Amino acid sequence: MPQFHTLWTHIELRGPDEAGPPLQIGSPGRIGKPFHSQWLGRIGEMQVLPTHLGPTGVASLLCGFIAIEIIGLNMLASVDWNPIRFIRLLPFLSLRPPPAKYGLDPFPPLREGGWWLMAGFFLTAAILLWWVKMYRRARALGMGTHIPWCFASAIWLYLVLGFFRPIAMGSWSEAVPFGVIPHLNWTATLSVRYGNLFYNPFHMLSISFLYGSTMLFAMHAGTILAVTPLGGERETHQIVDRGTAAERAALFWRWTMGFNATYESIHRWLYWFATLVTLTGGIGILATGTLVDNWYLWGVKNGLAPQYRPAPGLPAAPPPEALKHMQDKVLGR
Amino acid sequence: MRIGPPLLAVGAACAGLFAVFVPTWNLPTKGTQLGPNGPSLVQYAPTGSPIFQTRNGPPPANPPLIADTRPATEVYKNVTVLTDLNAGQFMQLQQAITNWVAPQQGCNFCHAGADFASDAKPTKGAARDMMRMVRHLNADWKEHVGEAGVTCWSCHRGQPVPAEVWFTRPPHPEGAHMDKPENWNEAGDSVRQFFPNDGYELYILQDTPGLAQSYTALPSGQAADQVVVKRLYEYMMQMTSGIGVNCTYCHNSRAFFDWGQSLPARWTGYSGIQMTRDINRNVLLPLAARMPQIRDTADTPHDIVLPERMRGPQQGNGFVLCASCHYGLPKPDDHAADLLKDFPGLKGPGRAHADAGPTTGTSGGLTAASQGDQR
Repeated sequence: MPQFHTLWTHIELRGPDEAGPPLQIGSPGRIGKPFHSQWLGRIGEMQVLPTHLGPTGVASLLCGFIAIEIIGLNMLASVDWNPIRFIRLLPFLSLRPPPAKYGLDPFPPLREGGWWLMAGFFLTAAILLWWVKMYRRARALGMGTHIPWCFASAIWLYLVLGFFRPIAMGSWSEAVPFGVIPHLNWTATLSVRYGNLFYNPFHMLSISFLYGSTMLFAMHAGTILAVTPLGGERETHQIVDRGTAAERAALFWRWTMGFNATYESIHRWLYWFATLVTLTGGIGILATGTLVDNWYLWGVKNGLAPQYRPAPGLPAAPPPEALKHMQDKVLGR
Repeated sequence: MRIGPPLLAVGAACAGLFAVFVPTWNLPTKGTQLGPNGPSLVQYAPTGSPIFQTRNGPPPANPPLIADTRPATEVYKNVTVLTDLNAGQFMQLQQAITNWVAPQQGCNFCHAGADFASDAKPTKGAARDMMRMVRHLNADWKEHVGEAGVTCWSCHRGQPVPAEVWFTRPPHPEGAHMDKPENWNEAGDSVRQFFPNDGYELYILQDTPGLAQSYTALPSGQAADQVVVKRLYEYMMQMTSGIGVNCTYCHNSRAFFDWGQSLPARWTGYSGIQMTRDINRNVLLPLAARMPQIRDTADTPHDIVLPERMRGPQQGNGFVLCASCHYGLPKPDDHAADLLKDFPGLKGPGRAHADAGPTTGTSGGLTAASQGDQR
């Protein structure tokens, strides 16, 4: 009887290579020679490979490679092809969307966003093709299509940020630049620009689902690990045939919070919490700048945020004549 | 025997001890709340970036004042700016400027050998521009410098070119198919100092409105372009870094746009932006335009005008920003209030008087405007 352990997996199965079901006629072959790794077995399956690419997988990888090449070579060119500066500055380097003056022009000059549009096209193609591949694999294995639809929710947010919202705003310049720090900078700027995104109710929902996902995930994983010595890891079995593990897990939560999910429903909780993170987030971003211009003022208007009073003895605005006097000095009038 | 948990416990204890004893903790962080409850208008102690700290310190001792009450214009030839000083004050100020700006180079940094009246050296013309500027700032920019004022030492701190300047971005090479990177500050020692300075010219050279946020909840066409807001963000980061404060020193960070929810320091800061624009547009930009000729005529032009490391990609001179005077402190440690008492020549009569010549017909209007100063 193997010893149960909470820190890492102790049960490792070493057997003949599992090749998967027979190939359909005309389907491309599997890639990679299988091997077993004891260390990978500590965190997952011991057997690594073969994998399956298929036509959509190959096309997706090709598009992804082109996108990464465009981004990387633009960044390398921007530091005059100096590899040392490229590595040192990599977090700061960016490939930026076209400036606002080009609007939705699909062919701006290459250095002013043309490369960005191309990289965005190929990256989007890669992601969508990967979605198709996921869907087809799920179907081929006779599974439900839950995973592709969850992935589609993330793609929705990606498309809102880089495609739908720029189109709604009438300019590619609204989209996110490629680059590590530049895209974080973009995020901070967007929040400041629209009066603090924290007052956006869909942003609130998205954050609630995000944090809720991690909490539910920890609750579920903790529960299952805790009842595994009692046979609780056989989750689908326990859905229809409760044993002592399911009873104890249910009692634990009923005695700590009065209500408990079941072995079946907890997975729906997790699925919807995770899927709704990007679904609601995408709605919130799409509404920003199109339906609402200043989320703080929107919050004040709708009783969500307080209108703080001015500090004592301070005018609500600087005197206009003082502002004009200052402008005159600068402009030498 | 399960060895995982004990190993993990020992590892966690070691990591905990490391985190407690190895980094230099500066706790508790001292904060002062400056506004009403709710908006968290808290000002933390100046962060004191080491890059700036090395520049802060007392100015050199004042040169002796010789009692010579004859007007400087009678005693010395070719005096055009400091015309309101007596000869003693004039000489004391000249020596002090040398100490503040060119202590190693000495008088010859600006003056051509023994002929002190000669205008041969281009640095002398630049120095005159700088003197006019300081006198103008102390007389006309009370909104920002207050009674404390500024002196040559405020920026120069013993160097011919102040340590904190920025340069405009060179034009993009013709025909290039790929963009140039933004000039991120690789030498920064905090996240606020990393931001590129590409956008500074929008706000302290040109006349871009500092508007990022809409005054209305629903779209009214007022929200600024994303890239412009990014530039404004970077510019404000320059401000917090150069002054050593956080956003809430001036703003309620929930509603940056709202003057009513801001602190009085925002007005000082706003006037500082305008003052910096005045300096860059009206003093340093004309100086930059003259630079090529200066460089052509000077013997060792780059040594005289700008050392190699201080020249921008456009070969022009630099422009000033908040850190040029502040060096990381909300109130510059430049002893300007004391120095201004000792050196009356650093404060001019004010622009309304200086411009009252026949070329400007609007002096009446300017006088009226400068009375608005006394709010």
